[in-house]
Amino acid sequence: MTRHLLAALVAFPAAALFAQDAPPVEPVPASAETIAESLPVADSVVRVNSTNQPWQHSRPWTKRPPYSRRGIGVVIEGGRVLVTAELVANHSYVELERAGSSEKVAADVVHIDYASNLALLVPQDPKFLDGTRPVSLAEGVHVGSRLNVIQLENTGAAALTPAVVTTVTVAPYPGDEAVLLSYRLSVPMQYRDNSFTLPVFLGDRLAGLLMRYDTRSQSADLVPDAVIRNFLARVAKEPYQGFARAGLMFAPTRDPQFRRYLGMNGKSGVYVVSVTHGGAAEKAGLKKGDVILQVENFDIDEDGYYNDPVLGKIPFSHLVSTANLPGGSLKMRVLREGNEIDLALPLEPRDPATVISSPSITDEPPRYYILGGLVLQELSRSYLREWGGDWRSSAPPRLVYLDEFQDELPADRGRIVFISQVLPADTTVGYDGLATIVVEKINGREIKSLEDVAEAVKSPDGRFHKIELESDPGVIFLDAKQVEETADDLQRAYGLPALSNLDKAAP
Amino acid sequence: MTHSGILCAIVASVVFCTQAVAAPPATQDILRRSLVRIETVSQDPDYNVPWNTGSIGRGVGAGFVIKGNRIMTNAHVVSNARMIWITRYGDPNRYPATVKHVAHDCDLAILEPADPKFFDRMTPLEIGGIPEIESTVMAYGYPIGGDRPSVTRGIVSRIDFQEYSHSGADMHLVIQIDAAINPGNSGGPVMQDGKVVGVAFQGYSGDVAQNTGYMIPTPVIERFLADIEDGKYDHYVDLALSYFPLYNKAARAALGLEDDGIGVMVGDVFGRGASDGIVQRGDVIVAIDGHPVASDGSVELDDSYVEMAELVERKLKGDSVDLDVIRDGKPLKLTIPLSEPFPFNLYAFSYDVQPRFVLFGGLLFQPLDQNFRSSTRIFNFRTNYYFDHFIADAVYKERPELVILSNILSDPVNTYATEFRQAIVDTINGEKMRNLNDVAAAFEKPAEYYVIEFLGASRPLVLEAGAVAAARDRIRTRYGVTKESNLEQ
Repeated sequence: MTRHLLAALVAFPAAALFAQDAPPVEPVPASAETIAESLPVADSVVRVNSTNQPWQHSRPWTKRPPYSRRGIGVVIEGGRVLVTAELVANHSYVELERAGSSEKVAADVVHIDYASNLALLVPQDPKFLDGTRPVSLAEGVHVGSRLNVIQLENTGAAALTPAVVTTVTVAPYPGDEAVLLSYRLSVPMQYRDNSFTLPVFLGDRLAGLLMRYDTRSQSADLVPDAVIRNFLARVAKEPYQGFARAGLMFAPTRDPQFRRYLGMNGKSGVYVVSVTHGGAAEKAGLKKGDVILQVENFDIDEDGYYNDPVLGKIPFSHLVSTANLPGGSLKMRVLREGNEIDLALPLEPRDPATVISSPSITDEPPRYYILGGLVLQELSRSYLREWGGDWRSSAPPRLVYLDEFQDELPADRGRIVFISQVLPADTTVGYDGLATIVVEKINGREIKSLEDVAEAVKSPDGRFHKIELESDPGVIFLDAKQVEETADDLQRAYGLPALSNLDKAAP
Repeated sequence: MTHSGILCAIVASVVFCTQAVAAPPATQDILRRSLVRIETVSQDPDYNVPWNTGSIGRGVGAGFVIKGNRIMTNAHVVSNARMIWITRYGDPNRYPATVKHVAHDCDLAILEPADPKFFDRMTPLEIGGIPEIESTVMAYGYPIGGDRPSVTRGIVSRIDFQEYSHSGADMHLVIQIDAAINPGNSGGPVMQDGKVVGVAFQGYSGDVAQNTGYMIPTPVIERFLADIEDGKYDHYVDLALSYFPLYNKAARAALGLEDDGIGVMVGDVFGRGASDGIVQRGDVIVAIDGHPVASDGSVELDDSYVEMAELVERKLKGDSVDLDVIRDGKPLKLTIPLSEPFPFNLYAFSYDVQPRFVLFGGLLFQPLDQNFRSSTRIFNFRTNYYFDHFIADAVYKERPELVILSNILSDPVNTYATEFRQAIVDTINGEKMRNLNDVAAAFEKPAEYYVIEFLGASRPLVLEAGAVAAARDRIRTRYGVTKESNLEQ
């Protein structure tokens, strides 16, 4: 699959991209692991223990059993501790622990950004960080840079494992949401505690946070300094904005027959496959069929790479998402019908309102609405992930299709509301088999969100709620009065904390 | 193709048929004078390399003589046959035979020997009725390919409506028996009281279920014989609609129905089918040909409750069905002429056909059908989705046939085409591709570039006409291509 996504969606599993084409790895010095108590970095890290409890999207009123994750956070200025978002995703309780002492303190997650896999913690007792040394971010990391991965001994001493940067590229981050700059390291390491965050240093400066380690190939992927820098700059500014997104998909132009057909005349660039509704590329006036020749005066090659003065050849999405902050614009030169034209690509995050099925990890309680025994939900990637790692092949195909190809739906499609399950009740006799079927209208009103559902059921069609479905059987009915009268019984019978949750997810 | 899992059974006459009215033929007579051994040489087409002639296989099945000097057997016994020989008990000669009629949708066929003298010593078997549950039946045939006939005895375990695995897409009445039925029994008669009560045709492999064999019951046999009376087989006809049970009281009341357990709601009406334009989604069917339809879709027929569809499937092309429906609360009488078979055959295995394809610039284009799908694993999510939802999402309206880039004969002209493998062709040079013939025609038209858009692909695939022409002989020679297209239906 050679589809390159700059928009929100990633069509391949997160690890797949990394699995290909690992460049040859430089040998690392034989004394791989050294105890380095004297190095100042030991004063800049703390243990983080997080007890997490995600919501169960297939039963949206319940939480899953809690589990614990461990990691090592980095102290940064402002009395804050930086970790990966994965470490504290769906946290119920987060605890910090000073290396080498048994002192522990509860912490608050003050900021979490799942797209860039970063989160900021603040200890509830600010004195806890007394004596630590906040670190600053590294600069100039490139392929071949020698870094150190930090782990902690039981004594609190830092165990350093030397590592070499083998690749700098953009890659899918955990949770499929974003494709951002990442460093890949070669590092022969004893991986302890299945840690979900390990800091990586260039000298005494932070080069990134380790988010994945493959013990077989001894390679690791980092959230790099550039992404952290961008995140911290956005955190400093109110209101908080996500990474800027180009909102387009492009295809390489390696095929010479295709280049001649496009009239590229020896120029290089990439072919625009589609632009996202309401996204930056659409606002810039980019169209399907355009060929992007230059971004910020950098020539774009036939695979979408430019030559970064520091990082080397990397995909141009770095210029959009991590090299710059939201606000302002990028200069783009495109080839359209034989003419070269200049466009300004606004740097802005994706408007969450334009997302039909959210790919993001979320720790918000899932939204739902129970009508009679019909459980209505809005389609999201989190719901589909309930089918496990191979959800693309095991989840209901219609819903996977709508999620996977949501960019092809009409711009005004709105959210996809569907019956996720039917709780057997007097009201739903005969409807038991109707799981995962999309709802089009209720009582004549088009359904584009659960708010529409709540509004539509206020005015029944005579004595009945008429629910029109996208597919067979087309329409079902509920007795409006019976639904109302049996609501309490239903809630009691199934132990439901509430018959609906319409809280908006945090932007 | 997929004959695995299809087992044939022969029924021997009941030894002690004390209740028989007329003297039934003795087992020895059935074996000697009615049972036929069928030997075939078949050639299954190769959907991966469609210009190849395909692999040659041999098979043995059973058949029996019926009135009119005809031999009845299963369609799957003689599908894709290049040569058919029939033999009879005690005669060392092999008589060449040909297929006179074949019905792949109900797995029955009629053979005709080249030499009519074959019938000289033979006695036709009479077709009986539906045997009672628990009554004894005997199956006759040549299981596991033996030269000598075999007889097994069993009882009727269940009468059911079930898939016929030969086409993989048709459901008809079947009778389950517990007589041992094995490969080679196929096409043999299952007998009771001296009459044929079924044709043994399929079963399960031993690791799925044991002591279950299936026979084609006489209503299906009689329907087949009636259908071919005019000299040709017309296929089953079908209402081509789906319906939804109406148990829910609110739904019943909202549709203006009494709470009397009658009526099903039409969920979907398939385009180009018999009901298209006559029945509407949301209609409530309350009676079919005067029989009340229960809210689960069953009707009472011959003292038993059967699915509504079973009533339709006894009909022939040209017959009609009367429906009493309630539309928008008002009763309505509808008559549906059964002029069309079920409009979509992409889910059914087809036989006695050569794969259709177009080869252009080393790119192989084939229609996506069950034959292709069973020969190749499809990993393209969108292509699988379109195939699986061809009817449910009414894909057929835009694309009566799904044509995919099925394979690539690698050559410099198509080096960058691999990303499009298994994708569905949407347009060529701006024209919508509705079937394989459209694809062939689009490549026939002179053009400088052939721009092929695939559904959901990242970019168009562009071939330069000059490059394709230059590659043509090279590809043909390198890959031993003997034919560059086959468009024959």
